[in-house]
Amino acid sequence: MDLLTTSVATVESGSEPYTLVELVGEADVTNSDALREVLDAEVAKQPRTLIIDLSGLRFMDSSALHVILRANRSMDRQGGVVALASPRDPVAKMLRLTAADQLIPVYASVSEASAG
Amino acid sequence: MQPSRGLPLSAQANGAIYHTYRSDLSQVRALVLRRAREAGLTESRANDLVLAVSETAANTLRHTRSPGTLVIWHDAAEVVCEIHDEGTITDPFAGQHKPPPDASGGHGLWLVRQVCDLVELTSDASGTTVRMHMSLRPPGAAV
Repeated sequence: MDLLTTSVATVESGSEPYTLVELVGEADVTNSDALREVLDAEVAKQPRTLIIDLSGLRFMDSSALHVILRANRSMDRQGGVVALASPRDPVAKMLRLTAADQLIPVYASVSEASAG
Repeated sequence: MQPSRGLPLSAQANGAIYHTYRSDLSQVRALVLRRAREAGLTESRANDLVLAVSETAANTLRHTRSPGTLVIWHDAAEVVCEIHDEGTITDPFAGQHKPPPDASGGHGLWLVRQVCDLVELTSDASGTTVRMHMSLRPPGAAV
Protein backbone atom coordinates (compact mmCIF):
# COMPACT_ATOMS: atom_id res chain seq x y z
CA MET A 1 0.00 0.00 0.00
CA ASP A 2 1.29 3.41 -0.87
CA LEU A 3 2.15 5.70 1.98
CA LEU A 4 0.37 8.56 0.23
CA THR A 5 -2.46 8.35 -2.25
CA THR A 6 -3.74 11.33 -4.17
CA SER A 7 -6.97 11.70 -6.08
CA VAL A 8 -8.02 14.60 -8.22
CA ALA A 9 -11.49 15.71 -9.24
CA THR A 10 -13.06 18.70 -10.90
CA VAL A 11 -16.10 19.67 -8.92
CA GLU A 12 -18.94 21.65 -10.44
CA SER A 13 -20.22 23.98 -7.81
CA GLY A 14 -22.60 26.79 -8.62
CA SER A 15 -21.03 29.07 -11.20
CA GLU A 16 -17.41 28.16 -10.72
CA PRO A 17 -15.90 24.66 -10.91
CA TYR A 18 -12.96 23.97 -8.64
CA THR A 19 -10.19 21.40 -8.55
CA LEU A 20 -10.20 19.11 -5.54
CA VAL A 21 -7.06 17.20 -4.61
CA GLU A 22 -7.52 14.68 -1.84
CA LEU A 23 -4.50 13.45 0.09
CA VAL A 24 -4.75 10.24 2.09
CA GLY A 25 -2.01 8.69 4.21
CA GLU A 26 1.29 10.24 5.20
CA ALA A 27 3.05 13.00 3.23
CA ASP A 28 6.78 13.25 3.87
CA VAL A 29 10.15 13.67 2.22
CA THR A 30 9.93 10.21 0.65
CA ASN A 31 6.89 11.08 -1.46
CA SER A 32 7.09 14.86 -1.83
CA ASP A 33 8.36 14.58 -5.42
CA ALA A 34 5.27 12.57 -6.36
CA LEU A 35 3.07 15.11 -4.61
CA ARG A 36 4.80 17.91 -6.49
CA GLU A 37 4.08 16.21 -9.81
CA VAL A 38 0.39 15.84 -8.96
CA LEU A 39 0.02 19.45 -7.85
CA ASP A 40 2.11 20.84 -10.74
CA ALA A 41 -0.12 19.03 -13.22
CA GLU A 42 -3.25 20.53 -11.69
CA VAL A 43 -1.77 24.02 -11.36
CA ALA A 44 -0.81 23.86 -15.06
CA LYS A 45 -4.50 23.54 -15.94
CA GLN A 46 -4.96 27.00 -14.41
CA PRO A 47 -8.02 26.43 -12.27
CA ARG A 48 -9.42 29.42 -10.42
CA THR A 49 -9.56 27.46 -7.17
CA LEU A 50 -7.51 24.49 -6.02
CA ILE A 51 -8.75 22.89 -2.81
CA ILE A 52 -6.55 20.35 -1.04
CA ASP A 53 -8.55 18.04 1.20
CA LEU A 54 -6.31 17.05 4.12
CA SER A 55 -8.90 15.11 6.11
CA GLY A 56 -7.32 11.76 5.26
CA LEU A 57 -3.78 12.89 5.96
CA ARG A 58 -2.37 11.38 9.13
CA PHE A 59 0.98 13.13 8.88
CA MET A 60 2.61 15.94 6.94
CA ASP A 61 6.23 17.06 7.17
CA SER A 62 7.97 20.23 6.03
CA SER A 63 8.87 18.72 2.64
CA ALA A 64 5.22 18.23 1.81
CA LEU A 65 4.46 21.69 3.16
CA HIS A 66 7.05 23.21 0.83
CA VAL A 67 5.43 21.48 -2.13
CA ILE A 68 2.05 22.93 -1.16
CA LEU A 69 3.55 26.40 -0.63
CA ARG A 70 5.17 26.15 -4.05
CA ALA A 71 1.84 25.29 -5.65
CA ASN A 72 0.30 28.22 -3.78
CA ARG A 73 2.91 30.60 -5.22
CA SER A 74 2.29 29.34 -8.74
CA MET A 75 -1.46 29.63 -8.35
CA ASP A 76 -1.08 33.11 -6.93
CA ARG A 77 1.03 34.19 -9.93
CA GLN A 78 -1.64 33.02 -12.35
CA GLY A 79 -4.44 34.65 -10.39
CA GLY A 80 -5.80 31.51 -8.74
CA VAL A 81 -6.37 30.54 -5.13
CA VAL A 82 -5.30 27.53 -3.06
CA ALA A 83 -7.30 26.51 0.01
CA LEU A 84 -6.69 23.74 2.53
CA ALA A 85 -9.59 21.80 4.02
CA SER A 86 -10.08 19.85 7.26
CA PRO A 87 -6.57 19.13 8.50
CA ARG A 88 -6.36 16.76 11.47
CA ASP A 89 -4.92 18.18 14.69
CA PRO A 90 -1.21 17.37 14.12
CA VAL A 91 -1.30 18.75 10.58
CA ALA A 92 -3.23 21.84 11.68
CA LYS A 93 -0.66 22.49 14.39
CA MET A 94 2.20 22.22 11.93
CA LEU A 95 0.48 24.68 9.57
CA ARG A 96 0.08 27.06 12.50
CA LEU A 97 3.66 26.75 13.77
CA THR A 98 5.14 27.44 10.34
CA ALA A 99 2.60 30.25 9.80
CA ALA A 100 1.70 28.58 6.52
CA ASP A 101 -1.90 29.13 7.59
CA GLN A 102 -1.22 32.87 7.19
CA LEU A 103 -0.39 32.32 3.51
CA ILE A 104 -2.98 29.71 2.62
CA PRO A 105 -6.50 29.80 4.05
CA VAL A 106 -7.42 26.73 6.09
CA TYR A 107 -11.08 25.71 6.32
CA ALA A 108 -12.90 23.18 8.47
CA SER A 109 -14.41 21.45 5.44
CA VAL A 110 -14.24 21.27 1.67
CA SER A 111 -17.66 22.89 1.36
CA GLU A 112 -16.52 25.85 3.46
CA ALA A 113 -13.35 26.08 1.38
CA SER A 114 -15.34 26.07 -1.86
CA ALA A 115 -17.62 28.79 -0.51
CA GLY A 116 -14.48 30.84 0.10
CA MET B 1 20.63 16.38 35.91
CA GLN B 2 21.29 17.59 32.43
CA PRO B 3 22.69 14.86 30.20
CA SER B 4 26.10 15.62 28.78
CA ARG B 5 25.95 17.17 25.37
CA GLY B 6 28.03 14.59 23.57
CA LEU B 7 28.42 10.87 23.39
CA PRO B 8 28.59 8.42 25.10
CA LEU B 9 24.94 8.19 25.87
CA SER B 10 25.31 7.84 29.58
CA ALA B 11 21.82 9.17 30.23
CA GLN B 12 20.08 6.36 28.38
CA ALA B 13 17.83 4.42 30.68
CA ASN B 14 17.23 0.71 30.66
CA GLY B 15 14.90 -0.48 27.97
CA ALA B 16 16.26 1.83 25.28
CA ILE B 17 15.30 0.62 21.85
CA TYR B 18 17.42 1.03 18.74
CA HIS B 19 16.20 1.33 15.21
CA THR B 20 18.14 1.84 12.00
CA TYR B 21 16.41 3.53 9.08
CA ARG B 22 17.29 4.54 5.58
CA SER B 23 14.08 5.35 3.77
CA ASP B 24 11.10 4.15 5.77
CA LEU B 25 10.16 7.14 7.88
CA SER B 26 6.62 5.82 8.38
CA GLN B 27 8.09 2.98 10.41
CA VAL B 28 10.16 5.48 12.42
CA ARG B 29 7.04 7.52 13.17
CA ALA B 30 5.00 4.47 14.18
CA LEU B 31 7.73 3.37 16.55
CA VAL B 32 8.01 6.80 18.17
CA LEU B 33 4.23 7.13 18.51
CA ARG B 34 3.91 3.72 20.16
CA ARG B 35 6.74 4.31 22.62
CA ALA B 36 5.62 7.85 23.41
CA ARG B 37 2.13 6.61 24.24
CA GLU B 38 3.50 3.78 26.36
CA ALA B 39 5.67 6.25 28.25
CA GLY B 40 2.58 8.30 29.05
CA LEU B 41 2.82 11.34 26.79
CA THR B 42 -0.51 12.87 25.88
CA GLU B 43 -1.69 12.22 22.33
CA SER B 44 -0.95 15.79 21.30
CA ARG B 45 2.60 15.75 22.69
CA ALA B 46 3.22 12.27 21.31
CA ASN B 47 2.34 13.66 17.88
CA ASP B 48 4.69 16.59 18.49
CA LEU B 49 7.52 14.16 19.17
CA VAL B 50 6.61 12.16 16.06
CA LEU B 51 6.87 15.35 13.98
CA ALA B 52 10.22 16.28 15.54
CA VAL B 53 11.76 12.86 15.00
CA SER B 54 10.40 12.60 11.47
CA GLU B 55 11.79 16.02 10.51
CA THR B 56 15.18 15.11 11.95
CA ALA B 57 15.21 11.71 10.25
CA ALA B 58 14.16 13.38 6.98
CA ASN B 59 17.42 15.33 7.15
CA THR B 60 19.28 12.02 7.15
CA LEU B 61 17.60 11.15 3.86
CA ARG B 62 18.19 14.61 2.41
CA HIS B 63 21.79 15.12 3.41
CA THR B 64 23.48 11.72 3.76
CA ARG B 65 23.82 8.52 1.81
CA SER B 66 24.01 6.25 4.83
CA PRO B 67 21.47 5.00 7.35
CA GLY B 68 20.55 6.87 10.49
CA THR B 69 19.88 5.43 13.89
CA LEU B 70 17.08 6.21 16.29
CA VAL B 71 17.27 5.48 20.01
CA ILE B 72 14.24 5.92 22.25
CA TRP B 73 14.18 5.67 25.99
CA HIS B 74 12.22 7.05 28.87
CA ASP B 75 12.31 7.34 32.63
CA ALA B 76 9.84 8.72 35.13
CA ALA B 77 10.53 12.28 34.04
CA GLU B 78 10.81 12.29 30.26
CA VAL B 79 10.84 10.55 26.90
CA VAL B 80 13.95 11.04 24.83
CA CYS B 81 14.49 10.32 21.15
CA GLU B 82 17.96 10.52 19.71
CA ILE B 83 18.80 10.55 16.03
CA HIS B 84 22.33 10.04 14.83
CA ASP B 85 23.55 10.17 11.26
CA GLU B 86 26.66 10.96 9.25
CA GLY B 87 25.54 14.43 8.23
CA THR B 88 27.20 17.59 9.46
CA ILE B 89 25.37 20.71 10.56
CA THR B 90 27.78 23.64 10.45
CA ASP B 91 25.39 26.36 11.60
CA PRO B 92 25.28 26.37 15.41
CA PHE B 93 22.05 28.36 15.25
CA ALA B 94 20.32 25.98 12.86
CA GLY B 95 16.61 26.01 13.48
CA GLN B 96 16.72 28.75 16.09
CA HIS B 97 15.22 31.44 13.89
CA LYS B 98 11.81 31.21 12.37
CA PRO B 99 12.05 30.96 8.60
CA PRO B 100 9.58 33.07 6.63
CA PRO B 101 6.47 30.98 5.98
CA ASP B 102 7.10 30.87 2.24
CA ALA B 103 10.76 29.85 2.61
CA SER B 104 11.60 26.86 0.46
CA GLY B 105 13.51 25.17 3.26
CA GLY B 106 14.59 25.48 6.87
CA HIS B 107 11.30 24.68 8.56
CA GLY B 108 12.36 21.22 9.69
CA LEU B 109 14.78 21.95 12.52
CA TRP B 110 12.80 24.99 13.50
CA LEU B 111 9.71 22.81 13.99
CA VAL B 112 11.80 20.36 16.01
CA ARG B 113 12.79 23.15 18.37
CA GLN B 114 9.22 24.43 18.62
CA VAL B 115 7.54 21.21 19.62
CA CYS B 116 10.16 19.66 21.93
CA ASP B 117 10.82 20.68 25.51
CA LEU B 118 14.57 20.48 24.99
CA VAL B 119 16.71 19.84 21.91
CA GLU B 120 20.42 19.07 22.10
CA LEU B 121 22.38 19.11 18.90
CA THR B 122 26.00 18.07 18.51
CA SER B 123 27.68 17.92 15.15
CA ASP B 124 31.21 17.41 13.91
CA ALA B 125 32.99 15.70 11.05
CA SER B 126 31.95 12.28 12.35
CA GLY B 127 28.26 13.06 12.25
CA THR B 128 25.31 14.72 13.89
CA THR B 129 23.38 13.73 16.98
CA VAL B 130 20.05 15.34 17.81
CA ARG B 131 18.50 14.52 21.16
CA MET B 132 14.86 15.47 21.60
CA HIS B 133 13.36 15.57 25.09
CA MET B 134 9.68 15.55 26.05
CA SER B 135 8.85 15.93 29.70
CA LEU B 136 6.25 13.60 31.14
CA ARG B 137 5.31 16.37 33.58
CA PRO B 138 4.92 19.47 31.43
CA PRO B 139 4.82 22.77 33.29
CA GLY B 140 1.33 23.58 34.42
CA ALA B 141 0.13 20.00 34.27
CA ALA B 142 -1.72 18.62 37.25
CA VAL B 143 0.48 16.35 39.33
